[in-house]
Formats: sequence, structure tokens, C-alpha cells
Amino acid sequence: MIKIIFSCVWLLFLSLAGQAAETVRVAGSTTVLPIVSEAAKQYRESHPRVRITVSGGGSGVGIASILQHSADLGMSSREPTPEEQARLDGQAELIPVARDAVAVVVSKAVAVGGVKALTLDQIAAIYRGEIANWKQVDGPDAEILVIDKEPGRGTRHVFAKAVLGDERARAPGARLVAGSNNEEQTIVARSDSAIGMLSNAWLNDRVRSVAVIVDGEPIPPTLEHIQSGRYPISRDLLLLVPRNARTEVTDFVDFILSPPGQKIVSQVGYLPVQ
Amino acid sequence: MMLRLWLSLSILLALGVALAVPGFLAFSSLAFWTGPGPAAILAGEWYPYEKLYGLLPALVGSLWAALLALAIAIPSGLAAAVVSAELLSHRWRALVRIGMELMAAVPSVVYGLVGLWLLLPLLQTAFGLLTGHSLLAAGLLLALMILPTFMTLGEDALRAVPADQREAAMALGLNWPACLGRVILVQAWPGLRSAALLALGRVLGETMAVMLVVGSLDRLPRPWWNLLQPAQTLTSRIGREIGEAAFGSLHFAALMACALLLAAMGSGIAFLAHRRGADR
Repeated sequence: MIKIIFSCVWLLFLSLAGQAAETVRVAGSTTVLPIVSEAAKQYRESHPRVRITVSGGGSGVGIASILQHSADLGMSSREPTPEEQARLDGQAELIPVARDAVAVVVSKAVAVGGVKALTLDQIAAIYRGEIANWKQVDGPDAEILVIDKEPGRGTRHVFAKAVLGDERARAPGARLVAGSNNEEQTIVARSDSAIGMLSNAWLNDRVRSVAVIVDGEPIPPTLEHIQSGRYPISRDLLLLVPRNARTEVTDFVDFILSPPGQKIVSQVGYLPVQ
Repeated sequence: MMLRLWLSLSILLALGVALAVPGFLAFSSLAFWTGPGPAAILAGEWYPYEKLYGLLPALVGSLWAALLALAIAIPSGLAAAVVSAELLSHRWRALVRIGMELMAAVPSVVYGLVGLWLLLPLLQTAFGLLTGHSLLAAGLLLALMILPTFMTLGEDALRAVPADQREAAMALGLNWPACLGRVILVQAWPGLRSAALLALGRVLGETMAVMLVVGSLDRLPRPWWNLLQPAQTLTSRIGREIGEAAFGSLHFAALMACALLLAAMGSGIAFLAHRRGADR
């Protein structure tokens, strides 16, 4: 009896272990997620034996899951912090797969109401709570719904560094904290007075970007301005590849960097790196 | 022989889990209790980047959301249970019951999405708010989620009151309201109380739905009774931050302290239910 149970458990273990060798687990930034999930779909067509599971959670989660070995591949939309970098050294390699801008987004009503461009100082004042009504920046007479992001999110790091001067700066003007790009997009779309930060690929009719005024000139977050570096809030989208990664993992990364993979990058709205 | 081994292993497993979970939480939150210390429970600021770990806003948020949910779900759930158990015909009762059980089986993230898409815009327009994200939204959503649990358990408790007790009460000349108040509810009271405590446990522990509607803003309500502002609960904070807190860091320990508080509240409730039950 015990023998039977033991052999069953052993068989189960073996079959799971056998399966795990062909599964690639990817986790992290929801900004990088569209690239990887579309790439996974196409990659599977030529490699039907490899299973790729992709989950979000944010850049912090992507980096943490590589450190804790709970994923084979991490996604991050920001550079690791010094503490994270210290622990990553020798453990994983950072590979840029695309470039993206963090767009400053507002609700449609605000954009229609006249807010087309803001200076970095104005955006900072809004996030610090010094500007609390759209009227103060030539918009409609409405209180501003300032949306902050969870602290580990890559979008927040990049935004806070460019706008507030420090990637860990507080935003005392915030009225709400959102997580993934999808959640933030939903909240901005449903409001008529919101401001938030979103990856460039998430803009639509109801969630509009405002141009950032640099040296008196409004710079919208277009791919050209990301490429030329004139848009001030842009970043690399990264994959974290552990050292000694299995061939399935490195092969998948190579696919994302290959011409078909980079085509996916531009299809989902980012700038290819190759 | 096999059966006995199996049974004793199972009871050991159950005991082990009961001790291991609080033990693990206490152990992994040690750095919090020795660092910021218990005084941080009453501190008002939470900002991990600046090593500020005040638990008060989330604690207050959790309690407010729980109280609000219970204040809505218990009276209405009790009334519904009474109607269903005492007044409805067999067929209708079965129908209501199936509906309630279906509602209880819906995963919480679905409630969260419903809240996000229906409840929040509703609150936003009804109260003229900047955003519907608020303790009120969390409380209403939680009330909706525990209503089926409380109602079905309450109905069971009411229907477990023996028929001869009702008949005796009627025979003594009590009318229906008096019979309900003096006999049925009194007899069903232990069951109703356990149902309420169970509901309270679920309210305190619910994460996903709350996280989507509460706003996750670590600030005390201003003034303290204002439920229309975004706030934070212990569970929504853990849900939002645990993924990125490095294992072994102070941030992780502080989140584990939140979990320990939740576990302590949960076992406090269970203990209360157990002890009060034993009194009778």
C-alpha cells in the first residue's frame, strides 16, 4: 500500500519536473507584458513544446521574482534600484528590448477643456498638491484627481525621477493609488478630472496624453520624440535573464530581439531597440 | 492500522498548521517588532522608502470597512433569512437558496470588477465625488459579498429550531411577531452569532475586491468618520506591496506584521465564537 502511494507521488513529481523543463515563467512589469505575451504567442507556433506563462505584478515583482527564483524571466520597465542591483549582480543580466515613454495622461474632459501641455514644474506642483484645480493651469474649473502608483512600479520610478527629482519622492497631492497600467487606464477613462502616468502604449481616445513643455516647446510623447530623446520621461524596457538560464529561456529572449520580435515591439506601440 | 496512522497524521498536520502559520508570521515580522516596534501600530505614516511603517491608517480602514459591511449585511441578511425560513413556500425558498449559494460561490475578484465598473461610478455621481474609490465602496461591496454567507447560515439556524417549539408558542397564544422574537430568534441565536462572526472573519480577510475599490491611499480619513475618501486596509496594502518587498527586508517584516494583526483578529473572533458557544 505504502509502496503504491510512494510510487504515485514519485511519478507525479517526475511528470511535473519533466513539464517544468519546457515551461518558461515570465513575470513583472505590465508595460513590458504586451510585448512578451504577443511574442509568446508567435514563438509557440514554431516551438509547440515550449509553454510560456506570463503574469504581471509590476517591475518590482519582476525583479523580486528573479531574485527569489520564482520566474525564469523578469520584466522591468525601470533600472533596478541600487539595493536591487547589488543583489542582482552576478545573478542576472539586463537586456533592453524596447524603448518607451511615460506619458502624462489626463481625462478626455480635461484635454478638451484646454489642457494640452504642461511644464514639468506644473506637473510636479500638481503631484505635490500645490495645484489642486485645473483652472490654475488654464483648464476647466474642476478639482484635480491626482493618481499615484504603487511604489515598486517602474512607471512610478521613471515618472517620479523626471518630474519630482527623486525616484522615491512622495506625492502628497495624490488622491488615489493605482497598480497596473490597465487599472490606471480604467480610472482615468472613468473620471473627468484625472491626471496620471501611463505607458505610451495605453493611450486612447478617453485617456489622452498632454505634451510636456521643454524649453518653451511642447513635446508630445511620440515615437520620434522618444527616439531623439527630446521627450523627458522615457525609459528602456528590460528583460532580466538569469545567468545559466535554460536554453528555452535564452532562445525566447533571442526571438524577442530578432526582427520578427522587434516587429511585435513596434506593433504594440513601443520603439524597437534593434 | 493504516486508518489509525492516517487519522493521527491528519490531526498532527492540522495542529501543525494551526501553530505554524502564526509562528511563521510572528517570526518573519520579528524585524518589525524589534525595529519600529509596537508603537508603530499607532503611527499614522506609511512610506516604506523612508522607513516609515505606521499601521494606523490601514488598521482604521480595515475596521471601518468591516463595521460598515456588518452594519449593512447583518440586519438585511437576518430579515431575508427570516422571510425565507418562515414565510416562503418550499419552492420559493429553494429558489432563493440557490440564488444565494450561487452568489456565495462567485470569486471575489469578480465582485471587485463589478464594484469597479458599476459601484464606483454610481457613488461618484450620487455623492458628487472626485472618485468613487472609498471606504464606503469597500463596505458596500463587502456587505454584498457576505450577505449570502450570512443569510444561508442564518436560515439554517432558524430552520434548525424544532417545529414543536413554534407549535408550543402558538398554542400559548403568541402571535407570529412575538413567536419570532421570543422563541425562534432566541433559539437560533447561537447559530446566528456564529454566522455573524464567520462573516466578520471574511470581511477582515477579503483582499482582491477591497483592493480594487478602496483607493489604497495610506492616509487617515479626515475627519475620522468621513467614509467617502479613498483609504487603505491591511489586506489591500499586503496585496499591493508584498510582491515587491524583498524577503527578509524591513518592508517585508512590516507587511508580515499587518498579516499577523489580521491573523490575531481572526483568531480572536474564532476564540470569541468558541467560548461564547461553550457558555451555553
